Amino acid sequence: MVLGTYKEAIAARSTEKKIQDVSQDGGIVSSLFIHALEEKIIEGAVVAGNSDEKWKPEPVVAMTPEEIIEAAGTKYTMSPNVFAIKEAARQCGVEKLGTVATPCQVLGIRKMQTYPFSTRFISDKLKLVLGIFCMENFPIASLDTFADAKLDSSLGKTNKMDIGKGKFWIETDDGTKGVPLKETHGYEQAGCNICTDYVAEYADISTGSVGAPDGWSAVLLRTDDGDSLFKSAVDEGLIETKPITEVKPGLELLEKLAKGKKDKAKEEINNRVSLGLAVPNIY
Amino acid sequence: MNNPIVISPTSRQEGHAELVMEVDDEGIVTKGKYLSITPVRGLEKMVVGKSPETAPVLCQRICGVCPIPHTLAAAEAVDSSLGIDVPKNGRLLREATLAAHNINSAAIHQFLIAEDFVPENLFATAVDSVSKIRKTVQYVVDMVAGEGIHPSDVRIGGMARNISPLAKDKLTERINNLEPVLEEHVELIKNLVLEKGLPKDLGVVDVPILASDKHYGKNDWFDFDKFSEVLPEEWYDDPAIGKKACSVIPLWDGKNGETGPRARMDEFSGFKDKGVIAQHVARADEMIVNYNWLVDILDQIDTSAEVCADYNPTGTDKLGVGVIEGPRGTDVHMAQIKNGQIQYYSAIVPTTWNIPTMGPATEGFSHELGPHVIRAYDPCLSCATHVMVVDDDDKSVVKNEMVKI
Repeated sequence: MVLGTYKEAIAARSTEKKIQDVSQDGGIVSSLFIHALEEKIIEGAVVAGNSDEKWKPEPVVAMTPEEIIEAAGTKYTMSPNVFAIKEAARQCGVEKLGTVATPCQVLGIRKMQTYPFSTRFISDKLKLVLGIFCMENFPIASLDTFADAKLDSSLGKTNKMDIGKGKFWIETDDGTKGVPLKETHGYEQAGCNICTDYVAEYADISTGSVGAPDGWSAVLLRTDDGDSLFKSAVDEGLIETKPITEVKPGLELLEKLAKGKKDKAKEEINNRVSLGLAVPNIY
Repeated sequence: MNNPIVISPTSRQEGHAELVMEVDDEGIVTKGKYLSITPVRGLEKMVVGKSPETAPVLCQRICGVCPIPHTLAAAEAVDSSLGIDVPKNGRLLREATLAAHNINSAAIHQFLIAEDFVPENLFATAVDSVSKIRKTVQYVVDMVAGEGIHPSDVRIGGMARNISPLAKDKLTERINNLEPVLEEHVELIKNLVLEKGLPKDLGVVDVPILASDKHYGKNDWFDFDKFSEVLPEEWYDDPAIGKKACSVIPLWDGKNGETGPRARMDEFSGFKDKGVIAQHVARADEMIVNYNWLVDILDQIDTSAEVCADYNPTGTDKLGVGVIEGPRGTDVHMAQIKNGQIQYYSAIVPTTWNIPTMGPATEGFSHELGPHVIRAYDPCLSCATHVMVVDDDDKSVVKNEMVKI
């Protein structure tokens, strides 16, 4: 299955304006964390917060809905959220922890939970792992190159970033500009080229914009915990849903991209093997 | 003369040691010698030439039973060499770490001696309360210092980070809930030790007390004019034992001394009994002393205050001394830093002080009680050893060159 194991696929978005105003797409991650905090399913969550440098995220242990909203929105460069899990479980005192993670980070977290070497009394604190769809991730210097050299603007002027319709977009006060994704190749992290997971297959819930209309997110409910949390947020009226079959472009596009990533990664893995390079085990 | 009775290795302690007892016709010990046979630790040499931040990371590996005092003593020694003033809240977090660890370590010791004192029908009760106590206080060390065993967050200049208000609330609540469990446990252990009926004077020795502080340790307590070391060959009257022994003998005012919970309780809390029973009782009573200290520290912690000082790691070659009152006694680390590197490092650890005292403490009673005397000191040999065995066949050790390690 190119999308991994899941119970249900749904299109969804937050019903709350305060989240819609700041979220990337449907605001699903923010809504679920806030609901989980309020229901005491988690006591805090490691999220990609803002650092002193614009667009460079920093892992933050958010312990209130306000702190979750503060960190909302996709960051297109890596936030090492796994790094902050220990701090969250230790000095922050969080014993029921959530985190949002890219597919590679989710895989790391699940390995950590399976073999908790050096993570004694840490990995067992993770109660909610929200995965985000991810084709590739750019170092901050790459984003700077896109904004500066390719789009004749700067990260400082950028208000929002997005990937969609075949382009990497930045939105500034002067308008919106995009670099064709073909031109971004080679600027991603090298590891992304051998990653076979587009949809965070090991998360409790995976979400992202692909497959859903603008302002909505596609959501894959994977585990029992993920399923019950999502449904309770829907019951509370915090999230509205539509059957994925009724929206465009639908699961078909998601499956196409997920398969594309797997195929491309396998090709690159074979290429690296033929060069005698080390490659990770793929499960 | 009867053949001496040799117990090697002595059991239910960390590391290997040997107890040699000369006995009369009645089996009464006339001369007791206790010596370490654990090979060299050598960590002090490994940190030379490294950055000052290396010292607490490497030197805490001296021992996995009491890594906390070694981490703190290493950090204190480096802080002192670099002239760093640790912020008040950083110091409080260090104190909380030590207070919790000392309770934990006393509980581990009570588990080790349970076989000596706890009857079968109470064994599960005693082990259960040891477990409950350890779980709670180790949670404190986990949260405050990053890791319960080898803490990652004790840093030069203070601590890596402060605890959150949520963490402070949880720690306070759990520590408050521990009080009745701890009190009951201390009473149980004390009563069982007293009921055992060991001779009242068993293990009583008249040696100086070594204790720098009621709780944490005072760096300026260490007096180089009072401190000296002799080689084991000079100390033990039997050349074979002198040759086999792996640790130097530290002396205070030219004499061997006693360090540990009883010494601290004697010096600072008016506890004057001596000997095996007194040591067990003092160790149990000190759990309450440390508990009250921990409650007080948690109350004082300001979750928004600075916990680590900025510092310049260059150093002036000043000899810094860090003194920590660990579960087994006074732990002294020394560091000299210049050009951003450790130039000299040395550790004089608790059990090393007690080694020359433990042997004579067995004298005057049946050799069968010898192990009781040793265990009352809760010796931990892993950290105490200085000298390396170079030939396993004849057990010869490197002497003068290595002793200075």
